[in-house]
Amino acid sequence: MTDGPLIVQSDKTLLLEVDHDLADACRRAIAPFAELERAPEHVHTYRLTPLGLWNARAAGHDAEQVIDTLLLYSRYPVPHALLVDVAETMSRYGRLQLVSDPVHGLVLHALDRAVLAEVMRSKRTAGLFGARLDETDVVVHASERGHLKQVLVKLGWPAEDLAGYVDGEHHDIALETDGWSLRPYQQQAIDGFFHGGSGVVVLPCGAGKTLVGAGAMARSSTTTLILVTNTVSARQWRDELVARTTLTEDEIGEYSGSRKEIRPVTIATYQVLTTKRKGVYSHLELLDARDWGLIVYDEVHLLPAPVFRMTADLQARRRLGLTATLVREDGREDEVFSLIGPKRFDAPWKDIESQGYIAPALCTEVRLTLPDHERMTYATAEPEDKYRLAATAGGKNAVVDRIVRRHAGEQTLVIGQYLDQLHELAEHLDAPLITGETTVRERQRLFGAFRTGELSTLVVSKVANFSIDLPEASVAIQVSGSFGSRQEEAQRLGRIMRPKGDGRTAHFYAVVARDTVDQEFAAHRQRFLAEQGYSYTIVDAEDLDQAPDPA
Amino acid sequence: MLDARLRRQGASPSRGGPAPSRGDGRPTADHHDVRIVVRMSTFTDQLRARTDDELVTLLRLRPDLGSPSPATLASLAVRATSRMSLERALAAVDAAVLQALEAVVALAAEDPPTRDGVLTAVAGPAVAAASVAGPAPAGSTVTDGTDDDDPPDPTASAAADRALVGRALDDAVARALVWADDSGRLHPSPGLAEVLGPYPAGLAAPAATPTRPGVPPPPADVHALLAEAPAGARAVLEALTWGPPVGIAPEPSTAAGRTVAWLVRRGALRATDARHVVLPRTVALALRGGRTHPEVAREPMPSVGRRWPASLVGAESAAAAERAVRLVGALVDAWGRTPPAVLRAGGLGVRDLRRLAQRLEVDEDEAAFVAELAAAAGLVVDDGGDPPAFVPTDLVDGWAARSLPERWAALATAWRDTMRTPWLVGTRDDRGGVRSALDPELHRRWAPRVRRTVLEVLASAPEGLGPGAGGVLDVLRWRAPRSVPPEAVVRGLLTEAARLGVTGAGALSPAGRALLTDDPAAPAAALTADLPETVDELVLQADLTGIVPGRPSPRLEALLARTATVESRGGALTVRFTPESLRVGLDAGVTADDLLGELATVSRGHVPQPLEYLVRDAARRHGRLRAGAALAYLRADDPALLAGLPDDPRFASLGLVLLAPTVLAASVPPAELVEALRERGLAPVLEGPDGSVVHAQAAPLRVRVRPSRAQVQPASDDEHSALARATALVPRLRRAEEAVPQLAGDLPPLEPASPEAGPPTAPAAGAPRPDDPEARTAAPVHVRAVAPVPDRADVPDGTADPALALLLLREAADERTPVWVELVGARGELDRRLLVPVRVDGGRLRAVDPAREAELTVAVHRIASVHRARPAAQHAPDPAPEAAPEGAQ
Repeated sequence: MTDGPLIVQSDKTLLLEVDHDLADACRRAIAPFAELERAPEHVHTYRLTPLGLWNARAAGHDAEQVIDTLLLYSRYPVPHALLVDVAETMSRYGRLQLVSDPVHGLVLHALDRAVLAEVMRSKRTAGLFGARLDETDVVVHASERGHLKQVLVKLGWPAEDLAGYVDGEHHDIALETDGWSLRPYQQQAIDGFFHGGSGVVVLPCGAGKTLVGAGAMARSSTTTLILVTNTVSARQWRDELVARTTLTEDEIGEYSGSRKEIRPVTIATYQVLTTKRKGVYSHLELLDARDWGLIVYDEVHLLPAPVFRMTADLQARRRLGLTATLVREDGREDEVFSLIGPKRFDAPWKDIESQGYIAPALCTEVRLTLPDHERMTYATAEPEDKYRLAATAGGKNAVVDRIVRRHAGEQTLVIGQYLDQLHELAEHLDAPLITGETTVRERQRLFGAFRTGELSTLVVSKVANFSIDLPEASVAIQVSGSFGSRQEEAQRLGRIMRPKGDGRTAHFYAVVARDTVDQEFAAHRQRFLAEQGYSYTIVDAEDLDQAPDPA
Repeated sequence: MLDARLRRQGASPSRGGPAPSRGDGRPTADHHDVRIVVRMSTFTDQLRARTDDELVTLLRLRPDLGSPSPATLASLAVRATSRMSLERALAAVDAAVLQALEAVVALAAEDPPTRDGVLTAVAGPAVAAASVAGPAPAGSTVTDGTDDDDPPDPTASAAADRALVGRALDDAVARALVWADDSGRLHPSPGLAEVLGPYPAGLAAPAATPTRPGVPPPPADVHALLAEAPAGARAVLEALTWGPPVGIAPEPSTAAGRTVAWLVRRGALRATDARHVVLPRTVALALRGGRTHPEVAREPMPSVGRRWPASLVGAESAAAAERAVRLVGALVDAWGRTPPAVLRAGGLGVRDLRRLAQRLEVDEDEAAFVAELAAAAGLVVDDGGDPPAFVPTDLVDGWAARSLPERWAALATAWRDTMRTPWLVGTRDDRGGVRSALDPELHRRWAPRVRRTVLEVLASAPEGLGPGAGGVLDVLRWRAPRSVPPEAVVRGLLTEAARLGVTGAGALSPAGRALLTDDPAAPAAALTADLPETVDELVLQADLTGIVPGRPSPRLEALLARTATVESRGGALTVRFTPESLRVGLDAGVTADDLLGELATVSRGHVPQPLEYLVRDAARRHGRLRAGAALAYLRADDPALLAGLPDDPRFASLGLVLLAPTVLAASVPPAELVEALRERGLAPVLEGPDGSVVHAQAAPLRVRVRPSRAQVQPASDDEHSALARATALVPRLRRAEEAVPQLAGDLPPLEPASPEAGPPTAPAAGAPRPDDPEARTAAPVHVRAVAPVPDRADVPDGTADPALALLLLREAADERTPVWVELVGARGELDRRLLVPVRVDGGRLRAVDPAREAELTVAVHRIASVHRARPAAQHAPDPAPEAAPEGAQ
């Protein structure tokens, strides 16, 4: 028995004691193959999953290395079944290879004939294969490359995609590094992505994912299609690219509900791609409009199912996924793995925070006791109304007011789900309101005023969940959310995590009605952040003023 | 080259005499003569000649011989040659002994071999002989068949092979499966050949009447014959060489058919009918170079799989042991509260099993095993109630109070000795029904023996190596080729062993090894050594989780049991605190401050704020609803009516409590309450029949163990008592011999007691058949008349005892010697004939009547007596026996 920092559990979780002398070395050693599941203050939990192990294989690690690492750092003997399982799982990756054959085109090549036989017998692969060339090779219809990879992951025999990528149309792009440079982790992320070909880069909100995208584009120097969540986000991408790269406004097109431009670099929204007219996706031609050399997926954890299907047809092009979290509320992580690519880079939020690249944040849950009459209404309400009733409790206005006053002089965002509540709050706080109904022009004006400090308080609906760059915002108050969505909570925290000019701590408040489903959903939402090491302090609304000094 | 080898083998001393005579095809009559003259003793004689120690060994090796105790050595001999006993004895021997037996049977059919002859036939000639033989070709052919895979040192391994066969032969003699006559020639015990089957060592039976017209004798030199044979002849013979010796003849019109016909014409094959040919034994032996087996069956080393370090095996076994004990504890706890019903056919219903699996968070297979384990240890039983249910016994309380290793040892020894077969749960029985857990049908008497055998195989593997079911079976196939357990059984047992921690990483753990010893304290001690140190520290985190970085101490475990739910187990224990998990502690009456205080003492740092908030919040919400027990209530719209009642001393016995100004609760049934109030002049009315609340938190149920079911005899005790019984039995047998000195073999053990009573312990050698009055009256007279020779009194030459008669017949069949047999005819008359028994099997005697040149088969119950014909009798029948039957008739 060694005195290592790692404890291996029989359910394939790894517990890493962070205060241990060897913790850092151990973390670096296990990061390639274990997924960080929870990173609270003392003991981090990693999990060994088939996807994680295959990610490691894709990155060139072998089972022997993984097992040696586990044995080296483990405090107790490692269960042998787990070691056997690791070796067995890892050996499944790459027994099948997708290769490009000069004569036959795309070919599935098997290093193990039995595996090919098993896969070809499966009902799921019906119709994906062309002619059988010999015992180890079978032609794959080029159009089914993505679908086949998806199926193979489901069958447990993930294929290594060695078929390469089309070069795409060349277009000169370079970073304009005057007075700034890529942060080391950003550079690592770009290198990791390019080495792997395609894949996902996981970075916390505020850690500069856009720059990773820009860096990848510069490295690729080809025409690029960028898929983003909404129009505001699209404009921010454009502004950032113009500022940080040699690209000019003319070279960047926007393909959204309002504009349909196709330029060497085109930024499109998921929404326009998934718009159907008469039952058909009318904007699919965009994907083939140019010979794209790179496709960037922003917020890949939100990628809608139709875009997955479209992506399945784009397997010959380099794909970069960007996200703050691979947690998908719909559990389609394996599709991200098979269609966008394996995870190429990952850094825990706290690590990047400790390097000073994102602002430190304090999270507080404020619990509000409902007055008796509201409790009575709540108790007798229909189940489907309960969350709305609790989340929009009238008492929250006063609490928000107190928090805003507490942080007077700081840029404050108030975020909510229900428009009635937000209107009321805007009135109560005498602050402007941005919702989905607000015009893009008005939105940009208000965000601009907020950035310059003209406005100190802004009430926003869920339109502000993602990709809105408000660097100076340092306080966020969440009054309601979409039930228990973990990634929404993370995104909202992300709004205030840009490092502040004066190194201030950011504050995130969640106002919650006590003893209601609001409290339960809040607990669920917080799990992701708590697992990322952000601890929530819970205070009663009455004790808010005695809460720890916000300074 | 092959010729040379054959000649050399043929000329070896062990096979010198008979070899030429076999070849020249002379009649076998004088053959018999020679053998009868040479024969100095019988199976019974050599049994009698054994020392006491040897007899004890025999009884220990073949326990069925001593139970029930035989009355005499003669009846012991009878029992030892019965088909049933021989089958059992063969089931217990390993592959090497079986080879030796086959060799003895195969060789003795023509000529009883010497010990060296057997060794050579199985393992090849002695090394010295091989090296003396000098020239490389001879040497290489000798080692050819045996050591293909072991070229470095063939002589050493050949010597080891001979030693192995020698030991096997000794073992066979010790088990009375083979016996040596005075000249050192080895004979198979009577009846053995039939049990071994028609083709011992894949050799055909010796040609009974080689002089049958039209059948050519086997060629003298098969290799010379092959040199001139048509193409394909060699392949035909080689296909049959190592047996089975019977082949299907191809169509005569084909080339292959012509080749076969050619071989048949020259005696290298014998046609048994139109379709089949058989390779004659002499030809096969010549082709085999005189060997009966191509190579010696050496014990395989279980070498499948990877060797794990001892620390890993120990750790995994300890983890599994801890888990098994925890699961059994959880089962007892669950069933103590809500006992599951017993199915009508016995056993646990599928739904109850599923519920148990959910409760234990294991799959149904494992849940069934846990239930069986708890039952085997006597912790739960069918209470036999109405309706019956599975309920924890009063053994539970004692068990639960012991330390973890002791609790485990109790379970593990119960498992070791149980006759239950939990791996069958969920499979279908012959009628297609699914077998349920705890089903009484799952008893198998052989289960403890097979379990022990499997554990012994694991114990013989190198430390840290898990041979797996395949490896275990390989060894078992060698150790007892005639009773290999099915693979499913071995798999089931290995799974159970792993679940129980008897193995770790598939290899036998120190605790598991301790189970094989006689020391009852050893298993617990061995497990204690492997259990990691306990940890008394809890790392609490803001995400409401906690981690014990090791095995929690009992105190910590108890604390966590009432405050948190377990998220994962392994080297460490991770838990999560939720309002529901904290409620358990609060229900037990612990306050928030106490809980936080306890957590603070075990916590490495402060209790995180979210956890503290959670505990306080849970405590705040705890108990806001109150429930209680009352048997009746009393309500009134006017509070004044009720106000005085609780304090009224006349109503003290009613246990009235004011719940609200207008509601009183009473602790007596409504009828009683109403009655009491009426007696005091009040006028209450009864309100509906369902107004009473019965709330009785029943104490966990316990019933007394019925000792008959829970008592399990440890197998090691059996071993001891078996030895003790055997040791005590042998002197008794000797005394019995002395008590009837002269006629021990001749007389059935009628002894002084009345024949009807008979010795109860020896049913085989007892009273004559009641349905056969002639036999009873005729036999004794006859026997006394026939066996008057005092100097040969200890050799059983004739008997009317059916069991002894069978023995005599078997011996005679073995030696092909004639015997006088008295047969009871259809009308009860006795018919006395001189017969040469061929085979005694299945209650029938097949024999040749040389006088009538006919073969006959008679049911053995028609045989009234058997007498050995005198050696000379074949030529000049002794007048005395001839006369006696006339007198009797």
